Amino acid sequence: MNKRRLLFCLITVLVLVAIGACMMVIGRGHTIYFDNKSLEYEGQKYEAIRRINVNVNGEQVAKLSKKERGMATTMGQGFKFDIEVIREKDAEPERYSFDIRIPYGIDGIVVNLPGMIAELPQAAWMEEFIPAPTVEEEEDETPAEGDVMDDFGVGGDL
Amino acid sequence: MSDISNNAATTPLERIQSAFRSFGLPRLIIAGMLLVLLIAAPFVGANFWMQITNVLNRFTWNGVLVLAMVPMVHSGCGLNFGLPLGIISGLLGATLSLELGFTGAASFLMAILLSTPFALVLGAGYGWLLNKIKGGEMMIATYVGFSSVSFMCMMWLLLPYHKADMVWGYAGKGLRTTISLEGYYDKILANFLQIRLGDLVIPTGAILFFALLAFLMWAFLHTKTGTAMTAVGSNPVFARAAGINVDKIRLLSVVMSTWLGAIGILVYEQGFGFIQLYMAPFNMALPAVSAILIGGASVNKATITNVVIGTILFQGIVTMTPTVMNNMIHMDISEVLRMVVSNGMILYALTRKTEVTR
Amino acid sequence: MKNQTSAGKKVLGFLGSNSVPIMFIIIVAICIPLSGFSPVFLINEIITRMGRNIFLILSLLIPIMAGMGLNFGMTLGAMAGEIALIFVSDWQIWGIPGVVLACIMSIPISVLLGWMCGKILNASKGREMVTSYIISYFTNGLYQLLVLYIMGAIIPIIHNSIKLPRGYGVRQTVGLLTMRQSLDNALAIRVAGVKIPVLTFLIIALMCLLIVWFRRTKLGQDMRAVGQDMEVARDAGINVERTRIISIIISTVLAGFGMIIYLQNMGDMATYSAHSQIGMFCIAALLVGGASVDRASIGNVFLGVVLFHLMFILAPKAGGVITGDEMIGEYFRVFVSYGVITVALVMYETKKRRAKAGMAAQLEAAQREEEQQ
Repeated sequence: MNKRRLLFCLITVLVLVAIGACMMVIGRGHTIYFDNKSLEYEGQKYEAIRRINVNVNGEQVAKLSKKERGMATTMGQGFKFDIEVIREKDAEPERYSFDIRIPYGIDGIVVNLPGMIAELPQAAWMEEFIPAPTVEEEEDETPAEGDVMDDFGVGGDL
Repeated sequence: MSDISNNAATTPLERIQSAFRSFGLPRLIIAGMLLVLLIAAPFVGANFWMQITNVLNRFTWNGVLVLAMVPMVHSGCGLNFGLPLGIISGLLGATLSLELGFTGAASFLMAILLSTPFALVLGAGYGWLLNKIKGGEMMIATYVGFSSVSFMCMMWLLLPYHKADMVWGYAGKGLRTTISLEGYYDKILANFLQIRLGDLVIPTGAILFFALLAFLMWAFLHTKTGTAMTAVGSNPVFARAAGINVDKIRLLSVVMSTWLGAIGILVYEQGFGFIQLYMAPFNMALPAVSAILIGGASVNKATITNVVIGTILFQGIVTMTPTVMNNMIHMDISEVLRMVVSNGMILYALTRKTEVTR
Repeated sequence: MKNQTSAGKKVLGFLGSNSVPIMFIIIVAICIPLSGFSPVFLINEIITRMGRNIFLILSLLIPIMAGMGLNFGMTLGAMAGEIALIFVSDWQIWGIPGVVLACIMSIPISVLLGWMCGKILNASKGREMVTSYIISYFTNGLYQLLVLYIMGAIIPIIHNSIKLPRGYGVRQTVGLLTMRQSLDNALAIRVAGVKIPVLTFLIIALMCLLIVWFRRTKLGQDMRAVGQDMEVARDAGINVERTRIISIIISTVLAGFGMIIYLQNMGDMATYSAHSQIGMFCIAALLVGGASVDRASIGNVFLGVVLFHLMFILAPKAGGVITGDEMIGEYFRVFVSYGVITVALVMYETKKRRAKAGMAAQLEAAQREEEQQ
């Protein structure tokens, strides 16, 4: 009986850990920034394109003119998106589909669309998004005595 | 758990152990902590005598509030978590005294006088309630305190106070959250017969006032009624058999506790310099409760010595840690430490097996 | 004639045993026209708040069953949930996976805290409530030590949006935008302008079923026996201490889940104060629903949430209309929360004393009879 219970507990813990690990993979959120900017790679220049529409799951997330940046969010490491490239006014859009893998440890990545269209290696068009360091005044954000012990919650929403 | 406290300690080691046990490990730790703080203070650049002055001041602010625990503990009503009720009586007296235009020392005396009827009436009602629910006093006391504080929050807004320096400027009504006592009874006791020795300042008047109340309490506990109160607390069945009216004695103890709570908050205000209304009384019971417990009291036993030692230890820790810690590691964990220590102390007292009331 | 009086008595008895909910129905009935809120707004608010709070309140049921009174220590579970959410939010796990991961991560913390709480409560039998209340304060101190000083200093916190500018400790608010209402919006449907978070309600329904089922298991029966009379249960071979600890652990774990559900709905988290009020409000809501310290049902939970939160929404506005100051209404609702708990506690204690006195009188009478023979 006791042994069975131990085994049962162990299995439960394992299952929970497995679910947790699974959640950590499929739930990892990333932000993807799409750049329609000129890119220089190994001496060659890839020009920005007149107009690129980015679709994720059939939903348009960005319409990019030259030098513009759009963004989308996703969970998990695989990210599929389609783009419509319009090089000239009123031209038939060229369609491309991409399926990229996002490194687990990176919160936000920037992809350069002209580079992707030119089928350059990944290192050329993908880089980590580093948010501009916001200057924060050294205000003391630690809770004051009143906040800590305020059991009252007047004005607090429920 | 310490269920092996047999009195038949034979070897010296065991005797020392049992002495430790009766003093209580938490108490020992706290006393040791204070000692370390005191020794460390000069080394980390804090002015030693200024620290002592601070501790003395804080002692006089809080002493009476802690003293207010004694009667109820004696009569077996447990720790007075309902202290906010007494505090509210005190606040009513204080605001009324100001509203009626008293200043200086007179305002302090009037505040005491005016808060007395409130304390008596509220205390009597509170005592009557506690007599109905013997055995569950502490929980209900807590919530009586909370309910009354939140009720008074409405009242402070609604009661017709008009004195310009007490009400909100723009509305002309509704009391402010803090009212300065400058010109009223700010430091009225502390400055009386004050002694200055360099950095050491002794608030003689406030100490004398506390001593007077403590002495009166001590004297009362040795009168016939006082001993009856102790009897009720330690063994109600025996007390009833001895012809003591248990309910009446308990009622008396609650009224006394409430009144002392009212005086206590007035003394606190004279030291602090402000009247704090609305939510302020809300959590004032816990520090007082843990102070008396740190002093060696238990849920049904408390002496004046417990009050004095406990208040010094507790206030010592509270005032010394911020300065010493800040000077030492530039990290102020005193607030958190205070929460853990004071509530841990109450927990320790609540889990002692001897006084299970069932 | 006789029939009539007994019917009258029945009505009176019904009114007496349900006085708190009836009082609240009256308060709410007065306040609704005064406040001037539209029915759609009110229904929307109530549905949202039901989804948000019911799970938390359900966590209170099991300790009541085990005779340990209102578990003020449910705050411990709330803190465990918050700790888990801080990590999940720092690791950038979003949406429903984030919620699930937070729930799983809160379990070990909840179990540990619940076990500690149960141990302490076993050492203070007969005054569980006041002890659990102090435990919540004590643990709040430990929680702050962890969140304010250890997180970021010893336990790594990656993102500056969570860490305090000084380099350690967690900010006053942690944004949970990435999992905001992820449970509520999944499968949500709209009926005549009212959003119904179907998934959340499904989870709640499942929980209710689990509680009903749990009552019938061996452990559930044991708990009820312990709640009825500890000594009798012990004589019957039930491990009383262990049963009580388990009941507190279950309650703490559920409270942790509840807090996560609550916070995913709110969308951000006040790191240092979110949990401090939650115990009080949940207990008040349960009592408003007609529960008492020793008896509470799932029905009480639902009724309580609806009535209490209606009062909560209406009071400031109605107070503003009556007295010209909305603050009065806000204070009023806080006063009512505390007042309800006070009244319920007083009623419980007087009932207990009366029962005790009745038993003592019976015993005395029996003894006297014996002596006479």
